[in-house]
Amino acid sequence: MNVLIIGGGISGVSAAKVVLKECHNAVILENTPELGGTMAHIANCRIGFKTFYDEIKDDPRLRVIRDASVEDVKKTHSVFSVALTNGEALNVDRVIVAAGLSPYDPVEYKGKRVLTSLEYDARIDQRNGELPEDFDKIGFFLCVGSRSKEYPLCSSVCCSYTIREVKWTLQRAKPEISVFYNDLRLFGQEFYLEKIYRDAGVRFVRANSRYFEEDETGVTVRYFVDGELKEERFNYVVLAIGLRPNPDMKHLGALFGFSVNEYGFAAEKTPLTTDAEGVFACGGALEPMNIKDSILTGFGAGVLAVRDAGPLIAQSRDKGLLWDEEPPEIKMPDGNLASCAFYLGTDDPGDAMFYEYMSARFVEAARTLKQAGKTVYIVTKNIVMPSYDELTFEKARREGVIVINLEEGQSFAVANGSFAVKGGEKDLSFDVDHIIYFNDYTGNFEGREFLSVYRSEPQLRWNPTRWSRKKYHVGFLRHPRDKRWKPREVLGAIGEIILDREEERLYPTMEEERCSGCGSCKDACPQKAIDMTITDTQVSIFGPIVSTGVPKAHINEDACVACGLCASTCPSDVIKLPEQEQKIQYCTAPIPR
Amino acid sequence: MPKTDNAIELTGYLRQDFSVCLGCKICASVCSVNDISGNANPQDMLQRIFLGREISAGEPLVRSCTGCYRCTGACPWEIRIPDVVRALRHELKIESPFEKAFKGSVALFGRVYEPYVLMKAVPFLLKGGYIQHMGRWMEYMGFHLPHKVKRT
Repeated sequence: MNVLIIGGGISGVSAAKVVLKECHNAVILENTPELGGTMAHIANCRIGFKTFYDEIKDDPRLRVIRDASVEDVKKTHSVFSVALTNGEALNVDRVIVAAGLSPYDPVEYKGKRVLTSLEYDARIDQRNGELPEDFDKIGFFLCVGSRSKEYPLCSSVCCSYTIREVKWTLQRAKPEISVFYNDLRLFGQEFYLEKIYRDAGVRFVRANSRYFEEDETGVTVRYFVDGELKEERFNYVVLAIGLRPNPDMKHLGALFGFSVNEYGFAAEKTPLTTDAEGVFACGGALEPMNIKDSILTGFGAGVLAVRDAGPLIAQSRDKGLLWDEEPPEIKMPDGNLASCAFYLGTDDPGDAMFYEYMSARFVEAARTLKQAGKTVYIVTKNIVMPSYDELTFEKARREGVIVINLEEGQSFAVANGSFAVKGGEKDLSFDVDHIIYFNDYTGNFEGREFLSVYRSEPQLRWNPTRWSRKKYHVGFLRHPRDKRWKPREVLGAIGEIILDREEERLYPTMEEERCSGCGSCKDACPQKAIDMTITDTQVSIFGPIVSTGVPKAHINEDACVACGLCASTCPSDVIKLPEQEQKIQYCTAPIPR
Repeated sequence: MPKTDNAIELTGYLRQDFSVCLGCKICASVCSVNDISGNANPQDMLQRIFLGREISAGEPLVRSCTGCYRCTGACPWEIRIPDVVRALRHELKIESPFEKAFKGSVALFGRVYEPYVLMKAVPFLLKGGYIQHMGRWMEYMGFHLPHKVKRT
C-alpha cells in the first residue's frame, strides 16, 4: 500500500514510522526545503527531531519530496491520483494529513525588541553566537493571538513553551525575568518547573499588556496590577504567540474531500479519521497540541492507515498491554443551594497537575448550576482549559458564571456563609451557601500510577504511552484530561506496540558478583529500570564465614530503553553495553496489499 | 446605592458580549484615562457591574473616559467598554450638557439639529462663564474660516 503523508513535521514522521514498520511504502510531502515543521524552529528540539527522523531516513520504502505541495487530486476506486506542483504524479491508497500548525504573526506589535517566542528562541540559540550585551531584563507576555474573538481556542502549548524558554534563558545568562500571564496552563510536572523558577526569582504577574513602546535601548511596557498602572522598561519583550491551523487546510480539504471545521482544523468523524474515506489526520491538523501528543496522534494515524485497528486493540487488551482505569466518580453538588463557589487553587505543585481534569469538571458543574438559575463563582489561580476546552470555558463565561481571578499575592479566605479574596488593593467578600474546594478532590487521584507523574520529566519523550514493554498507559492513567483523548491514546499506544515489536535492542550486561551495590546506576537511570535487591552472600573477612545481605543492582529489561546511562555511570565497569554496533533492520518483505 | 443595574441593557448589546471578559487587564494597560489617574481598570468595573456592586460617579474611568475605544481595539474579545461607560453616565446622571443636548436632539428630531443643541447648551455656556472666551475662540477659529473672498 502507498501512503501519502502531507507534512514532514513530527507527527508526519511518526506516522511514517508506523507505516514503514508495517512494510508499506510511505511518501512524505513537505512544502518547505527542510523537514521538521514548527518543532525544528525550536533550537532545543531540532536535534531531537533529527535523531527521531534519522531512524527511518535510509529506509528504502520511504520517499521524501521537498518543496512541493498538492495541486490536484483525482479519486478512482479508492486510489488517489495526486498531481504535485513540481510536475510529479503519485498514486496512493491512503492519505495522512499532518499539515501542522502555523504560528500567529503579531505584525502590529513586532519590532526589533518586541519578539515573538520563536524569534526569541533563535536569539538564545547557541548556534547564533553570543547573547546581546543588554540582556538584563526580559518580559514574557502570554496569550498573543489566541483566546480571542478572532481565534477562540487556547493554543495549549505557549505557557509550557514559555516556561521552557525561561529555563533555556537561565541556562545561558542571568537576566531579570518577568512572566505576564492570563492563566498559567501547564501540564503534569511543569508545575514543579514553575515553582523552581518562582523560587529562583522569576517574577510571575497575573496581568497582560498591549502597550509596548519600543525605542533604541528598550521597550516601555504598561501593565495594570494591584489596582494601579505600572510602567516598566524591558530590554526585550517576548510575545508567546498562539498556534493557528495551517492556512492550507481548507484547500487540502477541498482537494481530498474532507471537511474542515469553523476554526480551520480537520473535523474528526471518528478518532483521527476525517469524513473522507482513506484520509486520516494527526498532529496540528486536529487541534493545537504539544510534541508528545503530536507523536501519539501520528502513531495512531499510521496504524489506521495501514491496519484494521479494531482487532489490534482487542488483541492488545487481551494480552493486558493497554493499561487504563476508569476515572473516579467525582460528585458535584446538586441543585439544592442558592449560590455556590468553586475554588480552583492549591499550593502543592504535585496536585496542580490535576488542574486540567478538575477545571473541566468544575466548569461543567458551574454551567449546570448556572442554567438552574443559581449564582455561581469560580475563584481560580489557573484554570486549565486547553485547545477546544477553552470553548466550554467561554460558554460558561457567556452564560454568566462569574470568574474571579486571584492575582499574585491574593488569597482565598472563608468565613461562615461567605468567602473573601484578600490581599492586593481590594478586599472582596461574597455570600455563598456552599464552597467546593479543589483540595477535596485530590484524594481521588491518590495511589494511581499516572504516566505523567513518573515519566513526564519536563523533557521530550519519544514513547508517549509506554510505561514498560508490558504496559502502555492510555486514557485517565496517562494524563487526566478530556474524554476525546482516550480513543486517540488507544490508537497511539497500538502504534507504539507495533514499533516496539521485535525490535533489536542491546541490553546492558552486568557481572553481578563484582557489583558493589553503590546505587549510582539506579540514580542515573531515567526509566527507573534498575532496582537494588538484597542478596545473601557468604563473606569471610578476618575470621569465620558469615552470611550477610549485600545490595546488588538488578536490571528490569521490560522498562530498559538501552540508553547506556547506567554503563557510563558505573564506577567499576560492572554494567556494560555490548560493543557491537546496533543495526537498524529494515523490512524486506513484499508489500502487503 | 446608585443604580447601575441597567447599564448593560442600555448599551444595546447583550450581557454575554461583556461577560466573555478573560480578566487579562489589557484594557487597563492601554487606557488613556490612566495617563491622568493611574488606577482606571475597565475590567474591574465590568466585574463589579456583574456582581451588582456600587460604582460611584467620581471614579476616574466614569468621569474621564473619552470614548477613544483603545481598550476595544486591544481587547482580545473586542469588548465595547466605552459603551458601558456612556450607559453608566446616563444611569448616574452625570452626562455633560452637550451630551444631553445631542441626545435630546436625536430623540426629538432624529438627527443633530443645531439650533436645538445651541438652545440647550447656551445656558450652560453662560453659567460656566465660557462666553468670555468667545472672542478669543472666534479669533482662533476665524483663522480657519474664509475671511476675505476675492471677487473678480
